[in-house]
Amino acid sequence: MTSNVPTTYQEVFRTDKGVVYQCDASYRLILEFWNTRTQFSARDFAHFRRMVETIDIRQMALSTAASDDVEILTLPRSERCYVLTLCEIVHLRELLNGAKLMLDLNSMLRECGCTLPQPA
Amino acid sequence: MKDLARLRTAIKESVELALNQQIQMEMVSSSKYLAMAGWCDRNGLDHCAGFFYKQSDEERHHAMKLFHYLCDQGATAYSPEVPAVAQEFDSLRSVFEGALEQEVSVTDSINRIIGICRRESDYATEELLKWYVKEQMEEEYIARRCLELIDQIPSDQIYYLDKKLASVTYDGNVFDE
Ligand SMILES: [Fe+2]
Ligand SMILES: [Fe+2]
Repeated sequence: MTSNVPTTYQEVFRTDKGVVYQCDASYRLILEFWNTRTQFSARDFAHFRRMVETIDIRQMALSTAASDDVEILTLPRSERCYVLTLCEIVHLRELLNGAKLMLDLNSMLRECGCTLPQPA
Repeated sequence: MKDLARLRTAIKESVELALNQQIQMEMVSSSKYLAMAGWCDRNGLDHCAGFFYKQSDEERHHAMKLFHYLCDQGATAYSPEVPAVAQEFDSLRSVFEGALEQEVSVTDSINRIIGICRRESDYATEELLKWYVKEQMEEEYIARRCLELIDQIPSDQIYYLDKKLASVTYDGNVFDE
């Protein structure tokens, strides 16, 4: 998947389970996870991160009901959805929170008049 | 790299979250005051009922002010969930005690959000919240003054008490000058 990355994509954050890119040309954040690529507006990305953040993983871990084995997340403004196991949620959280940290850092740098060096 | 979140809105996520919680709190206040109005109404305290109906409207207005602000700034405002509120009260005094407690918790919440605004250097939101600071001074004053009157007016003069309570206003706000 990571092989054919468009040249406008800048890597924001990467784990061994996925990547978040930003595309300045289209004002989109791109989540690559589980062999899929999903594009988000900044607003939808924040919304999606909160959705993942607020899943009750304790309940998933403790419950024996089959319906608690997976969490189904509908992507904002899309017909697609993610069906996630507890493990995948933890991986996705790590990826999204890491990306948020980098985006916040980028904001802080902008606020004080600096910019991150553009990758060659 | 472009700052996409900033291009979308000037409101930081932490402020957006806090303002949405405040919207919910104002709507809960509105619901509580409506329940108080209903209790007064069915117990023959017409003037107090009118006072609380008006309060209930005002709280909704407080929520809407924040709702529109978030939308206008490009942030996201959520229509809040309002849980069930108490419908029955022991006495008129307990109604006003409830009102004062609610106003105190709103004041605390506004102050907390101003703290967040300062941490995030969000001076626009802080400016908006100044209006709420002033409003809360008035609301706390009125609730406290009503409790004083309940203590001062003999409890058998219910008609007079009802009228007197509903007429309490705060004219002396030092911020108005
Ligand atoms: Fe209010
Ligand atoms: Fe109030």
